[in-house]
Amino acid sequence: MSKLSDLFIPGLIALSFLALAGTELRAHPKDDPVKTHIAVWVGWSGFEYDAFQSVVDDYNKSQNKVFVDLLSITGNSTKTLISTSAGIPPEISLLSAAEIPQFADAGAIDVLDEDCKKYGWTEDKYVPGYWGVIQYHGHTMALPATPSTVALHYNTDILKRSGYGKPPETIEEMDEMVNKITKVENGKVKVAGFLPAEPGWWRWSWGPYFGGQLWDGKSKITMNTPENLRAMKWVESFSKRFGPAQIQAYKSGFGVFASPENAFLADKVAMEVQGVWMNNFIEKYNPKLKWNAAPFPYPKDRPDLKGHTIIEQDIFVLLKNCKHRAEAVDFLAYLQKQGPMEKLCLGQKKSSPLRVKSDEFWAKQDNPCIHLFDDMAYNKNCIATPKIGIWPEYEAEIGNAMDEVSLLQKTPEDALKAIDARMQPKLDQYLNRLEKRREAGK
Amino acid sequence: MMRRKEARAGFLFALPWLFGLVAFMFYPLLMSLYYSFCDYSALRSPVWVGGDNYVELFHDEVFWTCVKNTLIYACVSLPLSMVVAIGLAMLLNTNVKGMTVYRTIFFIPSLVPMVSLAMLWLWILNGDYGVLNTALGAIGIKGPNWLSDVAWTKPALILMSVWGVGNAMLIYLASLQDVPTSLLEASELDGANAWQKTRNVTLPMISPVIQFNMVMGIIGSLQVFAIPFVMFPGGTPARSTYFYATYLYDSAFTYSRMGYASAMGWILFVVILLLTLVALKLSNRHVHYGGV
Amino acid sequence: MKRKTFETSVTHVALVTLSCLFIFPFLWLLDTAVKPISETMKQPPVWIPSKFEFGNFWEAINYGSDKVGYIPFLVYAENTVMLAMLVVTGTVVSNAIVAYSFARVRWWGRDLIFAVTLATMMVPFPVMMVPTFTIFKYLGWIGTYRPLWVPAWFGSAFSIFLLRQFFKTIPFELSEAAKIDGAGEWTIFRSIILPLSKPALSVVALFAFMGTWNDFMGPLIYLLRQETFTLSLGLEFYHSKAGGTQWNLLMAATSIVILPVLVVFFFCQRQFIKGISITGIK
Repeated sequence: MSKLSDLFIPGLIALSFLALAGTELRAHPKDDPVKTHIAVWVGWSGFEYDAFQSVVDDYNKSQNKVFVDLLSITGNSTKTLISTSAGIPPEISLLSAAEIPQFADAGAIDVLDEDCKKYGWTEDKYVPGYWGVIQYHGHTMALPATPSTVALHYNTDILKRSGYGKPPETIEEMDEMVNKITKVENGKVKVAGFLPAEPGWWRWSWGPYFGGQLWDGKSKITMNTPENLRAMKWVESFSKRFGPAQIQAYKSGFGVFASPENAFLADKVAMEVQGVWMNNFIEKYNPKLKWNAAPFPYPKDRPDLKGHTIIEQDIFVLLKNCKHRAEAVDFLAYLQKQGPMEKLCLGQKKSSPLRVKSDEFWAKQDNPCIHLFDDMAYNKNCIATPKIGIWPEYEAEIGNAMDEVSLLQKTPEDALKAIDARMQPKLDQYLNRLEKRREAGK
Repeated sequence: MMRRKEARAGFLFALPWLFGLVAFMFYPLLMSLYYSFCDYSALRSPVWVGGDNYVELFHDEVFWTCVKNTLIYACVSLPLSMVVAIGLAMLLNTNVKGMTVYRTIFFIPSLVPMVSLAMLWLWILNGDYGVLNTALGAIGIKGPNWLSDVAWTKPALILMSVWGVGNAMLIYLASLQDVPTSLLEASELDGANAWQKTRNVTLPMISPVIQFNMVMGIIGSLQVFAIPFVMFPGGTPARSTYFYATYLYDSAFTYSRMGYASAMGWILFVVILLLTLVALKLSNRHVHYGGV
Repeated sequence: MKRKTFETSVTHVALVTLSCLFIFPFLWLLDTAVKPISETMKQPPVWIPSKFEFGNFWEAINYGSDKVGYIPFLVYAENTVMLAMLVVTGTVVSNAIVAYSFARVRWWGRDLIFAVTLATMMVPFPVMMVPTFTIFKYLGWIGTYRPLWVPAWFGSAFSIFLLRQFFKTIPFELSEAAKIDGAGEWTIFRSIILPLSKPALSVVALFAFMGTWNDFMGPLIYLLRQETFTLSLGLEFYHSKAGGTQWNLLMAATSIVILPVLVVFFFCQRQFIKGISITGIK
């Protein structure tokens, strides 16, 4: 063997020692003798992260006791879950409101009731829709981060071409518009007025939009109700009107959501439910698009539902057994002040969850519909995910039922019955086990 | 005396792994077995529930859908990928100018990160203007709706798996280097054609490596996860792309049912173990160790 | 001889056609990288961008450099290289030794332990994540790179199995002859098995390198500070949940990230070819 290859393995090992030293140095920061460091984990990236980082920076400079170590990572929920389960949670993590029940039922969240009293974080300070979703069993489980509501976005050009100057008021009106706008040539869809499965993010919301409830708030899954059935039949009607295969073929031609080929941006779908963020996608991928937004229509016979919307809110939770609770609350208190909150929300191009907003805040917003999104959160018919520990599974089940109904594989009646039949035992088991734990004091 | 010395040496050589096995593997393995008999969400402490998770799984429709999907996928994708990988490796083992470049090119799909790859495929398989359907259209075939038709989503995934055989191909390629040219030349002198040479010399010589890829293929195809997870979240449309490992992952991290997921994990473990044992038994007759 | 030329030309045609199929993702990556954002992901595809934006590569590397919490791309690259170095060395050294024991030495309990080794690969990873994390928590290693590379020094089932199969193809007569000459196991391993196994060892090294380079879940759950992140985590910063994805920059960065692997692979192959000349002797 040659000399050179004799040196290969020892050389590799020597380099490894260098790498070892390097990784150890990188992973161990110098101790901070002055400030207490708290860990704050968020799932934001891009401009959303930049906005938060700059608020964190302000906070770090504003006092000399606490330093926020900000970590931005996709998959933050999973990371938080694993770290919490191993007993080393961060101080604060950014979750979505729908995740509260799972974390709260497990006793992983530090309840903020006392702090709310101390700092005056009360109902009358926040926009009702945003305050509502952070309450669970009468306790305040989290604080608002940046909020959003959703609205019917519509392509004004396509509407105009079919002779419509304004968006639909009722679902019946919308159905009529959809029939007129949707163009089918030689069995192929050319333009669609609306599709319940595009973008397919809130497939559980059609029932509530028709006035339906997803559970009774205690122990019963209530999918099979007249309102939910009406919604499911409405979903089915699209396949019946235009053909399941035709819709399927049409959808197969849609591009990736975050791209110029997004169905709404590429003039393929005239109306779509979207949140305050849609403006960012439009500006990035198709700034020429002419659009506007309005609250999603309501059923003609339910005018009481007028102006309803879905609440979508990122929230900060304080995790139990974290190392520096007091410091973390201090940071949360800073974030809930009007100035920093507006800076964060403005940077993320969203409205603020606080009722009081400055004129400057409104003036700097670049979303033309920002007032609409804010107003809707005051509506008494705000729709939020049910506060139920098995929600993620329930949601997947509803989504799948919508698929089956749209493909005409199942009738709406059967699909709803199947959801009830599958989810009720799961809810019973969940609540049962929770009760047993409570008795055993675990 | 000789034997004992050899045994001691063997044990010493295996020591790092024995330590690794005990330190990093046994505890997680045993804990996941224990969790499979518990109500455990990862956030709450585990509470013993006996065989409840297994009983529930047995009555879980979604579980059976995933089992079916996974078996269909594995039964087609595994043999297909093995044949393609061996074929490509043999092609790359020929003595042609510019081989280093070809080899690098063939390995490229295995290098591209999963997320970019998924985006690429969404774009290629687009029903209207996708590259694949455009190409099929050019030869007069009307391409299917790969991404939205329940009958075509699995074939689409199988297609992708075949295209990503780079790793297996590389292993075959390395093993083909061990086939002595003298044997090939000898059989050529006996008048063997290309197929006979492959059948009688090459394949037996690399049989331990074929066996390796078969076992890894069984494990990999039954645990198929990343691409469907990124491309078809939730197994859309209508759970036609919901596989065993995706349901397991959702159960563990989305539905916070770590105990239930662990039960799924251990059922899969037993199934793979049995399949592997059968496959090894059947293939051992054809496996040829020790070179000549 | 005529048959030979025919075979060669068929091979050529096959290689060129298949190459087009396999190089496609890379060309697409590069193509997307030099497009303006409004032309990325278009259907029907825009093959030739209206204007070639080669500056995207530079922009991708410096993405976010005007922001407060900016971590240079180079830092991620550095972290990943150091980590990969540790993992590759550990994997090659430990697995070669262990696989030798499983393939060519007889000892009591060997086959049983080998079966257990294989079995460890069959339990799906997600159900092991939480207990594995707990181990590293007790060791106080969360937030360091140790959970990501230390296990590599104690062998991995995949590499042990792979190397064992390769070692088994080497004629046993070679070791027998050496033993008669009085060589111990270490000498046989060092001077017979290792030199003959370069192709297999390169494959194992390459896989270990790629595994570390592209690993997402490991760094995600174990690392705690932005400046310790690896490239695969860094690539996530071009996505934004509420603002869309910078496809052109993401693909530019991805091309830069896979380039080193491509280069490593290109040169690693020489090891495979060396294998030919050695086995030709026997």
